[in-house]
Amino acid sequence: MGTDDVLRTHLQELRRGTVVVASLVALRQPDYGYALLQRLAGHGFAVDANTLYPLLRRLEEQGLLTSEWNTEESRPRKFYRTSDAGEQLLTRLLDDLAAVQTSLTALIEGAPR
Amino acid sequence: MTTSLTDRYLAATLRSVPTARREEIADELRASIGDMIDGRTADGLDAATAEREVLTELGNPAQLAARYTDRRLQLIGPEYYPAWRRLLITLVSTIPPVVGVLMAVLETTTADNPGGAVGAGVSAAFNVAVQIAFWVTVVFAVLERIGTPLNLPEWTVDQLPDEPVDRDISLTDVCASIVVLGLFIAILPWQQFQTVVGDGDRLPILDPALWTSWLPVLVVVLVASIGLEFAKYRARRWSWPLVAVNALLGLAFAVPAIWLLLTDRLFNADFTARFSWLRDGGVDTVARITVVVIVVVTVWDVIDSAIKARRNGR
Repeated sequence: MGTDDVLRTHLQELRRGTVVVASLVALRQPDYGYALLQRLAGHGFAVDANTLYPLLRRLEEQGLLTSEWNTEESRPRKFYRTSDAGEQLLTRLLDDLAAVQTSLTALIEGAPR
Repeated sequence: MTTSLTDRYLAATLRSVPTARREEIADELRASIGDMIDGRTADGLDAATAEREVLTELGNPAQLAARYTDRRLQLIGPEYYPAWRRLLITLVSTIPPVVGVLMAVLETTTADNPGGAVGAGVSAAFNVAVQIAFWVTVVFAVLERIGTPLNLPEWTVDQLPDEPVDRDISLTDVCASIVVLGLFIAILPWQQFQTVVGDGDRLPILDPALWTSWLPVLVVVLVASIGLEFAKYRARRWSWPLVAVNALLGLAFAVPAIWLLLTDRLFNADFTARFSWLRDGGVDTVARITVVVIVVVTVWDVIDSAIKARRNGR
């Protein structure tokens, strides 16, 4: 495995959990799959479509998202929104993310270079 | 906008999705694909190319379907793998050899063809090994699919092996081998002078004429094998030179022994004449069974040493 592959796998590992957090934050404002994909990409979360679409379904099944079909436009689309349960989980996740960042900062500052 | 390529992609993806959710996933995925295609045509791409690109980006339908259904793309996952591997190794290393030897012995005693007996034994062992591997794997694959907990006892530090594994040739094994070889060497002169036949007579089992031809050779090979045991113990593990010497010694014993057995030169004719069952073809049966055992033991010994040397990588 080349150095690039190693870097890519580690970045992937690091990013994996943050997609859920980013989606729960972004979907406080209801949106459909492709639009969410674009929004996340615009904010630096480059998610693969074949990862995001199944993920949205899974989060919905876990009750973290609610969904509604919008049939007003020519193409019917499924709009997702972060549910109350999703909001509670998001709070925990954000706290944890902040805690990780704090610990890491402390570790970096405390460690001799 | 639906086109045949998208339809085919949807059909391929939804084939393995449970029916209850198929319809909704299909509608949503179709809309998403449409949105993605529109996004690209807006950037100036023609519709056909855009569609191809989008479907390529979404990737293998089987993988996408697995993500939707949260199904793992593996036959046996990490939870079951160690148990599967251990069970398979245990079964395959014990049952097929036993079945193979039994089949070979059965074949020698019923058919008149020692060469065929070895073949029958090997093919029986191979068939049994394939069957075991197949069925064990099927059972574990099913367990993986229905998610049965194995309820295996938790691993504890008490399960650690006693000895550090910096050698794979243990003192016990070497001592046992030397004792067996020593006994073997001791039996040769013993059978010459001490075998009691019926009414107090003493008759050699092996043809005494062999003492001036092949028996000294076999004794030398056996003594050299004892030397090899010492060399193995000093080397701590199998190396390719040791494998070569071991194979050479194995052949040096097996080839003359088998030749003597098959050409009916090994046993003392006076001795076999004393027993009616040996006279009536019994000596042939004994010879054939011995040949099979020698072949199996020699082949297995060489394979085993080669596997261990390969694992040690030297």
